Amino acid sequence: MIPRTRNPEPVLITCTALLFAAAVYAVFFHAPAERVMGLVQKIFYFHLSCALVAFLSFTTACISGVAYLVSRDLKWDVLGAAAMEIGLVFTTLVLATGMLWGRPVWNAWWTWDPRLTTSLILWFIFAAYFILRAAVKKRQQRAAYCAVMAIAGFVDVPIVFLSARLWRSIHPVVIRADGVNMAPPMLTALLVSLAAFAALWGVLLRRRVRILAMAEQIRILEHRLDREPAQARRARY
Amino acid sequence: MRPAWLVIRKDLRAELRRPQAMIAMLFFGFLLLVILDVAVPAGTEIAPETGAGILWVAITFSSVLGLGRSFDREKENHCLEGLLLSPLSPEGLFGAKMAVNCIFMGLAELAILPLFFILYGDAFLRSLPALALVLLLANSGFAATGTLFAAITAGADRNEALLPMLFFPLVMPLIAMAVRATGMIFAGAPLPEYSSWLQVMAAFTLIFTGLGFLVSRHIFRD
Repeated sequence: MIPRTRNPEPVLITCTALLFAAAVYAVFFHAPAERVMGLVQKIFYFHLSCALVAFLSFTTACISGVAYLVSRDLKWDVLGAAAMEIGLVFTTLVLATGMLWGRPVWNAWWTWDPRLTTSLILWFIFAAYFILRAAVKKRQQRAAYCAVMAIAGFVDVPIVFLSARLWRSIHPVVIRADGVNMAPPMLTALLVSLAAFAALWGVLLRRRVRILAMAEQIRILEHRLDREPAQARRARY
Repeated sequence: MRPAWLVIRKDLRAELRRPQAMIAMLFFGFLLLVILDVAVPAGTEIAPETGAGILWVAITFSSVLGLGRSFDREKENHCLEGLLLSPLSPEGLFGAKMAVNCIFMGLAELAILPLFFILYGDAFLRSLPALALVLLLANSGFAATGTLFAAITAGADRNEALLPMLFFPLVMPLIAMAVRATGMIFAGAPLPEYSSWLQVMAAFTLIFTGLGFLVSRHIFRD
């Protein structure tokens, strides 16, 4: 079931590593220090990149949820679970980097700003997904429930953002519809680090999908082995 | 439409004979109001926004008990399979359960509200008509999301603790909006000031009702 073609993974990992080296160089040496915030602002490049990865994961999980419900093919469930795992890790990173930045700049670890609220609720939904996954035993049932959870969570996020926006926002808005609000070298650094994180996302997702698919195969084999002695015994008598 | 109506009647009649959900909801709601009253330092004036928060904590936590029980009876003796073999469609079953949950929540609130006014001051009493509108919107939103996840947790192993953990993250925006709108109502604000909250609440309800109808076939099938 696992295709025996040439494994492109070493190439992917090397590219990602090179991109990361380039991103670190661009962020710390190419981009100038911000006038007011200074060195603290450097975390922004990684903060936004983590947010991108979380968003990619969440969207992938929702799409594979819909695909599973339509096709009932368990490979979509594996893809959704892998995406959710990565999403949970990177949402945690978004929250952590945001807090590290917020403490010196806003003088608070946490405020109830729309983006912060939305990320936090997103984190809760990611976490709830795995609680649900652990609580359902039957394979098909678990896949269907998890698909619904991923879709419901995805639908919920815009509402969370809309409801939180009715309060006042203090979160900086860097990318607006009418242009990007930063110096060109900073933009380069941002784009390189976004690319690096997107590549990392691809590598991680590929890995996790393969591992989960193998775990699935092992489970099926174990199940078959458990059954076989019983059948053999029955055949004897 | 008729089979769904029969399920609603069946659930209401069963509840009337042996009120499991209602007693749990009411008792827990009362307890929460008393605990929150104890938690507030004695003699403090309750601000409108605080009052709204207290009321919604009691309603949210008591409603989750009722929602968790909405599929309890169907799990005994394979009743759920029986219902699905009947001419009733999965969408009809979802709609019926959602309506029942909505009714239960409304009934529980009829008892929780008077106790709230007794404990926290009847100055809030004048805002009752506007509050009824907020309650109606929040109840239907809670019922839509809650029925969806009650159906899911009914199929899982540890469903008592599971439902709140899945349900609360998703209804958090609805709770936040209900608290905000109720706080404004308690403070005596006119309708245009909080109508945008009500609109988003209505949107939430519509979206999750639609989602529930769309996925009910997949949930009940497994």
